[in-house]
Amino acid sequence: MSIDYDEWLQYPKIDMHCHVWNMATEAEERASTEQLITAGTMLGISEYWCSAPITGGVIADIEDIRIRNDSVLRAVQRYPDRIRGMCFVIPGQYQVALDEVKRCLDAGMIGLKLYNQYKIDDPAVYPVIELAIERRVPILEHAGFIEAREHLDRQPLISNGRHFANLNEHYPEAMLIHAHIGGGGDWEQSIRWMRDTSEHLYCDVSGSNLDDGQVEQAVQDMGAERVLFGTDGTMCGSVGKVIDATLTDEAKRSIFFGNAEAILAAQGTTPLHAAEKVAV
Amino acid sequence: MNFIDLNAWLGTWPFRDLRDNDPASLLTRLERAGIQRAAVSQIEAAFQRNVQHTNERLAQSVESYADRLLPIATINPRFPHWEQDLLRCHEDLGFKVVRLFPCYHDYPANDPEAIRVAHLCAERNLPVFLPHRLEDARQRHWMDPGRTLDLAEVADMIAAVPNATIVVTNARGIQGSALWKRQDLRGANWFYDLSLSEVHYKLHTSVSNMRDLAEFIDQGGARHLVFGTHTPFSYPSAARVKTAVLPVDAETLVQICSGRAEKMLGLT
Repeated sequence: MSIDYDEWLQYPKIDMHCHVWNMATEAEERASTEQLITAGTMLGISEYWCSAPITGGVIADIEDIRIRNDSVLRAVQRYPDRIRGMCFVIPGQYQVALDEVKRCLDAGMIGLKLYNQYKIDDPAVYPVIELAIERRVPILEHAGFIEAREHLDRQPLISNGRHFANLNEHYPEAMLIHAHIGGGGDWEQSIRWMRDTSEHLYCDVSGSNLDDGQVEQAVQDMGAERVLFGTDGTMCGSVGKVIDATLTDEAKRSIFFGNAEAILAAQGTTPLHAAEKVAV
Repeated sequence: MNFIDLNAWLGTWPFRDLRDNDPASLLTRLERAGIQRAAVSQIEAAFQRNVQHTNERLAQSVESYADRLLPIATINPRFPHWEQDLLRCHEDLGFKVVRLFPCYHDYPANDPEAIRVAHLCAERNLPVFLPHRLEDARQRHWMDPGRTLDLAEVADMIAAVPNATIVVTNARGIQGSALWKRQDLRGANWFYDLSLSEVHYKLHTSVSNMRDLAEFIDQGGARHLVFGTHTPFSYPSAARVKTAVLPVDAETLVQICSGRAEKMLGLT
């Protein structure tokens, strides 16, 4: 049977992995965020969970981190009916990081974003994990199963499925999200490591890698209720891979919307828009 | 809308299992995505020095699907007497396209011998397809060179053989590429497929590079776009979704989705 693209493009989607940035000027920052929304609207994306992480393993000062998180808060203020915030911190900064998480969550953010400064199962990350459990918010961590030396050297502390599974053993109740199975790296290995983990460990489908079968593999190993829709800037590709996946319509709807809705429900909130057809 | 996929594959990728990689299942898969015809290469040829056996097998395997699958001949310019392979593929087997694998057969795209292939193809009106990558290098298997094609080298090839038709498949970042920066080549007969690029948004550090193909199109790039999916490596619907949001008029969209391919493949 042929795929009904119009039907699927109109189905609402929560992009739980995307970014806004603090740009040189307010006009640029506004233009960047507007472009995110314009591009996503064409594809039926009704809600965006945005962060502004410091990448490359850089251990930045808390002032720089706050500037990033403030840019996310500004985006939320500009588009309260479309954008939600994910707070970036560097867990090893301990109390400073915890204070920043509290500041951001109190300002309305709905989750945490960690990058590659620490592996997710490093005990230095535990206090942040415990705070996220207490506040019932998800933790989205940059991830990928990278083995090639020339790529691993650039981010030696990147987490992969094995690290997520380790942490899941310690904290099965923590809502952990392995970012972008299509973000580069051997997604087959990363997903396989997360087989037989608790129901609160998720992965998202974002990333520029459009390898056929990756969504189905995630569903097979983790279950459709643990696979989330995200883009990380690859909008058409990420929408296309879920539409194309050989899954039931119900599973695709869960990935596009329902699973993110369940994460929001854990903290007592709901999606910004109901799961009804959207104009594209 | 009629869709002709200029970037499809048959065969086995040694590092990951591919589904829908034989003629019948590939066609079924493409049909599900509303794609009627495809030009297909044989994956194994990327790893062989003597590629002609694979070309012969490819011709046989698509024989019963001749109206829907068009075989692409692989040429390895580092293998002796490749010219004879090319003539055999064109004159006896009826191939209408040539594929080069610079990253796997280990030569730069501007290598004099590769340019000779392009010359010979231009004389015979055969387009030359160049994959930018077969798989994401960040996940490369230790036995995979994991290289991506240097578009500056492709620009050199285009400049050296201005009457050739060159198609770069499965590439990202055309807008800021060395190829697009070559203003002198903007009128040349080169094409870029939809397999991997995005359209209206990409990760960016400045508003000047926040759009992908949309910006390329604004700068006059629409005339270089063709439809390709990289199936069965990639999900075909990734490219199909792009056609739903490409900022081009209806006639240009038809040209991108099938018109240029029909002309290239001699289907009109």
